[in-house]
Amino acid sequence: MSSFLLRRLVHGVFVIWGVVTAVFFLVRLTGDPSAFLVDQSATREEIAHVRHLLGLDRPLYEQYAAFLVAAPRGDFGTSIRDKRPAMALVLEHLWPATVELALAAALLSTVLVVPLGIISATHKDRAADHVSRLASLLLQSMPGFWLGLLLILLFAVELRGFLPAYGWGTWRHLILPAVALAAAPLAQNARLVRAGMLEVLQQDYVRTARAKGVPERSILYRHAFKNAAIPFITVTGLSLGFMLSGAIIIETVFAWPGLGRLIVQAVPGRDFPVIQAGVFVFALIFVTLNLAVDLLYAAVDPRVRLS
Amino acid sequence: MGTVKRITSWWLVSGIIALATATSAAQTLDGVAIDPDAELVVAVPDDTTNMDPRLGMGSTRSNYIRQVYESLVDVDAQGKPMPGLALSWKPAGDLAWEFTLRRGVTFHNGEAFNADTVLFNLDRMFRKNLDRWGVKDVTASTSFEKVYPTVTRWEKAGEYTVRIHSSEPLPNLWDVIGREPLVPREYAIKNGVEALNERPVGTGPWKMVGWKRNDAMRFERYEGYWGPPPLFKRLRFQVIPEAGGRLAALRAGQVGLVDAVPPLDAGVLGREPGIKVTSSAQKLYCRIYLNARPKDKFDSNGRDGLFIDPRVRLAFNFAVNKEGIVQKIFHGYAQANASPVATVSYGYAAQEPYAYDAKRARALLAEAGWKDAGADGVLKKDGETLTLQLLFPAKHYGQGFDETTPAVGEMLKAVGVQVVIKPVDYGMLIQTVTKGTLPYNGGFTACRTSNNLDADDYLRDWTAITLINWAPYPAELADLYRATRREVDPQKRLKLMADLQRRVRDWAPVVSLYQEAKIFAASARVLRFAPLMDLHMDFRGVALRK
Repeated sequence: MSSFLLRRLVHGVFVIWGVVTAVFFLVRLTGDPSAFLVDQSATREEIAHVRHLLGLDRPLYEQYAAFLVAAPRGDFGTSIRDKRPAMALVLEHLWPATVELALAAALLSTVLVVPLGIISATHKDRAADHVSRLASLLLQSMPGFWLGLLLILLFAVELRGFLPAYGWGTWRHLILPAVALAAAPLAQNARLVRAGMLEVLQQDYVRTARAKGVPERSILYRHAFKNAAIPFITVTGLSLGFMLSGAIIIETVFAWPGLGRLIVQAVPGRDFPVIQAGVFVFALIFVTLNLAVDLLYAAVDPRVRLS
Repeated sequence: MGTVKRITSWWLVSGIIALATATSAAQTLDGVAIDPDAELVVAVPDDTTNMDPRLGMGSTRSNYIRQVYESLVDVDAQGKPMPGLALSWKPAGDLAWEFTLRRGVTFHNGEAFNADTVLFNLDRMFRKNLDRWGVKDVTASTSFEKVYPTVTRWEKAGEYTVRIHSSEPLPNLWDVIGREPLVPREYAIKNGVEALNERPVGTGPWKMVGWKRNDAMRFERYEGYWGPPPLFKRLRFQVIPEAGGRLAALRAGQVGLVDAVPPLDAGVLGREPGIKVTSSAQKLYCRIYLNARPKDKFDSNGRDGLFIDPRVRLAFNFAVNKEGIVQKIFHGYAQANASPVATVSYGYAAQEPYAYDAKRARALLAEAGWKDAGADGVLKKDGETLTLQLLFPAKHYGQGFDETTPAVGEMLKAVGVQVVIKPVDYGMLIQTVTKGTLPYNGGFTACRTSNNLDADDYLRDWTAITLINWAPYPAELADLYRATRREVDPQKRLKLMADLQRRVRDWAPVVSLYQEAKIFAASARVLRFAPLMDLHMDFRGVALRK
């Protein structure tokens, strides 16, 4: 177990280094941010002066060497757009706004998805199953921004401010964006759990358990679901990763000051330090979640050995 | 501009309001009870990236910055200059301007505003004596020392008088210097220029008390304001990027005022009870920039820009149905403008419109040698087709702009131009024009605005080679432009600028598309809000119904 962990950690370090290195060079291929910082009536000379102030006139290998020295200390430079330390800016947007929203949406989709998927599987081709599948199909097909706007129109406008139309700060602000963000993964996972449960419920050990008189509830949740949960855990881990990387559309619709919007603004503005810091954090999140998912496999399914 | 010492209508109104406020226990305005402790939430589409004015003053940033920081020259609702931190300004001979400063003004931290403040700000603007003050240089959007190299020195002519000297006459110096927001000297020296950005301290009517990036900026009334203090206590700029979200928040009663209402929604909103839609002309002026540079002024592969012949550019102007764009795409919330200068700038002179006339456009193109030579309807000259590779920065200037570009493409096709529209992200467009790699038959749609009041800011566009200058002035227009820069007599200068605008209109460096209007929607609770023709909103004199 410890050698597995160590190997994965070393592996993770290389993954993160690879990702940030790729991003370092790729963003520079997209062009130079200096021209964004000057008036449209700026001359080439003025732009060159800004390039110098930003250090972008130094050779690329020098910039990369400086980056490699500073990045492990969390120093990704100063945001070109916001003139603040890039990592601080990223962390400010990640915590609490993005983490709050991602956890709320993940909780919502996870808590609801298990009973929904199981009910759908145990009531196959009956009304509950049809309703659940239809709802899943609708939620999966519905673009997040559209669902978000519908929720705003209903709960904020039609119900005269029952829930806030925008913003961040209280649990009331969290409800609508969390629902809008949870909708698609909830629908997807409900179908996944249903399919997994349908497969597992036909296995011999389930029939044996039933024959032995094990209560149905125990069969479903203790025996069947544990075996059906592996793909669900994988997808949930990835979904959480994507949510923590910033739900760009939902954050835009609900004016949520999260990481997604920060990165969306940074990319067209060629804000290299923020993009690099953001991607570093994303890579860290995904590496950590992948490791957590692997560890969870072993906890859920004893056949999985961490070696 | 001669001595400016005018009490404007705004001051009269403010004075009356202040008197009413001071004497009336009930606090009423126009007979309506108002709430002096209320908060006005304004839904805006974007956050500012900086509060230090030296870092840049685009339209979004200007709106935030000018609530806190003020400039020597203020602006009224009609876009006219009025006394701000300077009570008056006047030429002191041909080579100097003198500003007489307002007395009794303090920054939000109590620091006094005086001539030393102005000198320090001039040092920052022109990057002089920074070491002496111990303040860092910043990546400023305007390099004053490069744009106005003839400004030579500045001096204190009294505790409240500043004189600025130049080596050549600079008739618009009052505007160039006067519109730049001023920061506190002692505060900047003590806390560094970063503090001007993070914890701005100005002389304006609003103190910044909180800023969560991409969420909201909160302000409080500055009780020590030199003019009548604001009529409500708190102001919040709430960032709501989606127009639909901003309007929903207004309808839900969660915001009082919405900025950047899409033209399509304005008509519907205007019919809703309890919502008032207002608009005003603004300086955002959208155009097609055509490559008319000579071959030595861009990465040309030895060819001049295809649109170097002014008849071709003029033809394009006649081929575009601007009124159609204004009515069909902007629902009237824009205007066609044949002058190169925004209609709200000082020195603007209305020009004969480029009437939509496809026949005339074809005639001009034929005169320039472009003749219909095939079944495809595309004009040709010496075996070359008249092609425009049009770069189009989608999703940058708004929906109206995004709809306009393809519409214009079709209009140009109708007169025999082969138009290839290439949607690019704004950054890519900027890279292209910076490097000078626009194709010889290329062009791009873009909008420009101005932080200044004087027409010079627009007329300067075709002087030095810059990002947006793809049709440099020919010698005679360059001479005329220089003459406008040297003429200190206001009337003669206005005449020269009008003449230049007329000739630029005929020479047609760009295809003028439209000048947008700013649209706001306010709840009935908001009283006396009037949009400015400048880039920012002014809440002095605005009140909230109790």
